[in-house]
Amino acid sequence: MMLAGVLLFLALVLPGLPLGQWRAFTLDTAQFAFLISGLALAWDLLARTGQLSLAHGAFFGLGAYAAALSAPALGTIPALLIGGAVAAFSSLLLGLATLRLQGMYFAIATLAFSEVMRTLVLKAQFTGGSIGLPVQPAFGGAYPLGGYYLAVAVLAICTAASLLLSRSRFHYAMTATRQGEAVARVLGVPVVRVKLLTFTISAFLAGLAGGVYAMKTLFLSPYDAFGLGRAVEALVIPIFGGLYTTTGPLLGGLIIVSLETWLRLRIGEGYLVVYGVVLVLTILFLPKGLMSLFARRKGARHA
Amino acid sequence: MLRVTGLTKRFGGVVAAREVSLEVRAGEILAVIGPNGAGKSTLLNLLSGLLRPDAGRIEFLGQDITHTPPEVRAWKGLGRAFQIVQPFHEMTVRENLMVGALYGKPGTSLKAARQVVEQVIELTGLASKAETEAGELTLLEDKRLELARALCTQPKLLLLDEVMAGLRPAEAMEAVELVRRTQASGVTVLFIEHLMPVVRALADRVVVMDYGQVIAEGPYEAVAANPKVREAYLGRSA
Repeated sequence: MMLAGVLLFLALVLPGLPLGQWRAFTLDTAQFAFLISGLALAWDLLARTGQLSLAHGAFFGLGAYAAALSAPALGTIPALLIGGAVAAFSSLLLGLATLRLQGMYFAIATLAFSEVMRTLVLKAQFTGGSIGLPVQPAFGGAYPLGGYYLAVAVLAICTAASLLLSRSRFHYAMTATRQGEAVARVLGVPVVRVKLLTFTISAFLAGLAGGVYAMKTLFLSPYDAFGLGRAVEALVIPIFGGLYTTTGPLLGGLIIVSLETWLRLRIGEGYLVVYGVVLVLTILFLPKGLMSLFARRKGARHA
Repeated sequence: MLRVTGLTKRFGGVVAAREVSLEVRAGEILAVIGPNGAGKSTLLNLLSGLLRPDAGRIEFLGQDITHTPPEVRAWKGLGRAFQIVQPFHEMTVRENLMVGALYGKPGTSLKAARQVVEQVIELTGLASKAETEAGELTLLEDKRLELARALCTQPKLLLLDEVMAGLRPAEAMEAVELVRRTQASGVTVLFIEHLMPVVRALADRVVVMDYGQVIAEGPYEAVAANPKVREAYLGRSA
């Protein structure tokens, strides 16, 4: 909680710091890191109900396309909300069809969903198809830091959602659903409804992050927006940082994205190798992620 | 309170429950006994809604719940403790109980749930373990937690699936005492049990199953003296 507050404060004041010639690069990297951390936080919410999603890259992409397409007519903020809503609505449909599936089967269904979405966007006319889609910057470019602060806002919203849900009664329903569905039902937890609601909230947040991403990159292609890489990132970060926590995905996202960016500068595509090594080492030595370094006592999960 | 008529469940060619009919009366403790594979656990799964019957009808408090999902049965006041204890391992004892207290009865506030949990912790003697993670409990404590969690849903009828299995005699008697206290607080109990001393000590009435069918019903002494029961149950296990 404390740490989350400190990080968000730093994010707010970062543009005002004397960063010299690195300023533009730092802000750009930070903005991307905030959005990916937000995506990771959203993914982690669903993970709390025991569902492994490979569709979060697609929700991110759907949000990006929906926001990009509706921004010229509606303006930035409504377009971002549309982006979240489109992602949420698609997750609702996907969830109604698949959330009765468990574990691996659900994961495979979400993977199929991602591929279908990518193909649809690729083949459709209004999305620009394989050529891609140019996007207007946030607020028509009226504020140079507009996109940056939108990313901070998205991260704040995702963090708040994650914290609130882990402190509410819903926390018990999510955890019980994850640890034993049959038992949870017998105790009165409506597990299908819990999973569906969580999935929808989670996809909404992913779509929101995607929309801001579109206004940052200024150009979308189906290969980038719906690539499997982002879906993998959405799950690697919480695993690296600490599953079912708020600080874990938040801190993990900032570290992983920074590391990735730095490695890209140093060794180009080779960064994927280092990325893989970091992941393997984490799983081997910190099975509960970075958070296990901070855990004050065994079982401290509410950080 | 609970009326079961003609309940049938097949698994492929095996008939795990064959036209089972029985009644649980408000306030009583009813034992369901029978040799291994007699269909007792299947019956409990049908009653709590984890399995769907192929035929038959289940009525609870005058309502047909044959096709009602498990969570809705819980809201109506049907509680269940499992034979193989299944605590939520990564939660503390108190958090485990909170799940039952919050969701077992719709509209329970966090505050009200905490009070229920406090009472049940008191009743079941789990106070010293309240903050322990469920994965670290001993078998006896696990069994207590299983029972306590079911109690937290504030059931009107509690289904207990061999909650004494694996306990030493002294521990089993402790658990018997717990079930008695539960009944005294106004809960009707249906329990499955292998240990005859426990059945004798607790049950107001006994239903005997064999090969998925009810073969006898009545007070413990009458049932124990029934030749059919002796043949099916005591005969084979000797």
